[in-house]
Amino acid sequence: MSNLIELFGYQFFQNALIGGVIAAVACGLVGLFLVLKKEAMIGDGLSHTAFGGIALGLLLGINPLLTALVVSIVAVFAISYMRRKKIAASDSAIAIMLAVGFSTGLIIISIAGGFNVELFSYLFGSILTIDFTDLMLVSMLGAAVVLFISFFRRELLSMVFDEEDSRIMGIPTKRLAIIFDLLVAVTIVLSIKVIGTILVVALLVIPGLCALKLNLSFRKTLLASVGFSILSTVLGIVFSAVFDIVTAGLIVFVLVLFFLLTLLYKKLS
Amino acid sequence: MPPNVPILGATNVTVIRSGEVAVQNASFSIDKGDYVGVVGPNGGGKTTLLNAILNFLPIANGKIRLFGVDKEKFCSWEKIAYISQQATNFESQFPLTVRELVSLGCIRKGNIGRRFQREDWEAVDESIEFMGLTDVAERRIGQLSGGQKQRVFVAKALARKPELILLDEPIVGVDSEAQEKFYKKLSDLNSERQTTILLVTHDLASVFCRMSKVLCINKKVEVAKITQELDANTLLKRAYGDHFHFVFHKHTCQGAFANE
Repeated sequence: MSNLIELFGYQFFQNALIGGVIAAVACGLVGLFLVLKKEAMIGDGLSHTAFGGIALGLLLGINPLLTALVVSIVAVFAISYMRRKKIAASDSAIAIMLAVGFSTGLIIISIAGGFNVELFSYLFGSILTIDFTDLMLVSMLGAAVVLFISFFRRELLSMVFDEEDSRIMGIPTKRLAIIFDLLVAVTIVLSIKVIGTILVVALLVIPGLCALKLNLSFRKTLLASVGFSILSTVLGIVFSAVFDIVTAGLIVFVLVLFFLLTLLYKKLS
Repeated sequence: MPPNVPILGATNVTVIRSGEVAVQNASFSIDKGDYVGVVGPNGGGKTTLLNAILNFLPIANGKIRLFGVDKEKFCSWEKIAYISQQATNFESQFPLTVRELVSLGCIRKGNIGRRFQREDWEAVDESIEFMGLTDVAERRIGQLSGGQKQRVFVAKALARKPELILLDEPIVGVDSEAQEKFYKKLSDLNSERQTTILLVTHDLASVFCRMSKVLCINKKVEVAKITQELDANTLLKRAYGDHFHFVFHKHTCQGAFANE
């Protein structure tokens, strides 16, 4: 116990907790809309695409989170273009960008050789290595996500619930849908250090799913989604420090535990 | 909008759907305060006509005017509310209470991204009360009965105080008591607030009993005022075919139809 209290005094652990909570809030907010839109696949697709951006950043010596952000944003526009021009249906367009991003990453690794250890930390998260620069970037991106959702949550909800009616009401649904996908890209990038590109989809999807099982109003469901997300991230980080087990795996483990508990709650109620 | 200008006017409108003419040369006008039943056989073009009015489908020919303005130049869409056939086919787990859903009706071009004002919340509560949903206002929409769900969507439409409401077969799969309640609310809305209503339905008896006009469509469109003198049978035969026979008694408000 005293070791745990001691941990809270270390800068790296404080950074990890702050970064983790910011990522958790963003994932909890964006993830619920993603689940309601039935578009969890775009989260998976963009997170794999971001891998290409990370490899590019490592190759060019730029902050990999920045290059991941740029590549993910390009992927969002590419997916949107393919949908709009009917080049490919939504899921196929996502699959194409997932493959392009991931294979680009593999080619870059193969050409560059090396940086495998560093790359590993982006694939599976490396929360205890969050430095001040990362924290600044994560905070700015997190603030953008929170502000957007707090201003446009009703419009997003309306669009998710009934897109046709929303269009008649004057909501710019096409623009809003693209901005939302950009928000997903931003959320994934700011969560990469916490949970890694491979498992970020779990932090995006599972808190929303847990919250939906509680049969609450939308407002309370959104708060519950953020709550589950924060709780699992913090517990994951603390358990990880105490038991010296990889953080991303523990966060997902706690998330799945919450999911099973809410499932049980729903069955019983 | 100057008085006496129709709320909705169509001149020689032709709509093509999936390569086939779905609405042909339709010309009609709907005035403020009209309560119009849109009837016709399946595939006759009822929903297509609504989609063309709402800009979901392009018109191949002719002109549609909304509130006296050409549809292409019309931008006051907040004056129009639409309740689609699929409106109530949402997932029962969707996390929305009645009040939350009705409040979404207050979103309009002018307040996107802004906080709702006190007037918006008053409109929400007023709409909930008008549609008789006060007791279930905090209940999740998935927990409502079929009839209550229909009324919630009308309440949502009312929250932004529309002047024209378009409803596409809103009472399918609802028991007769709930239907009666629903029609009563629409009649109140039409008479108390002068809201113009266009309702697509197969319930011919209710159209001739409760509404002021009937719009018959089977590619071609005919609009008639519903009066004692109206020869409903002849009108409907032109849309449904000669085999169709409709018997209607306005004084008892009872109708029946049969294939001869």
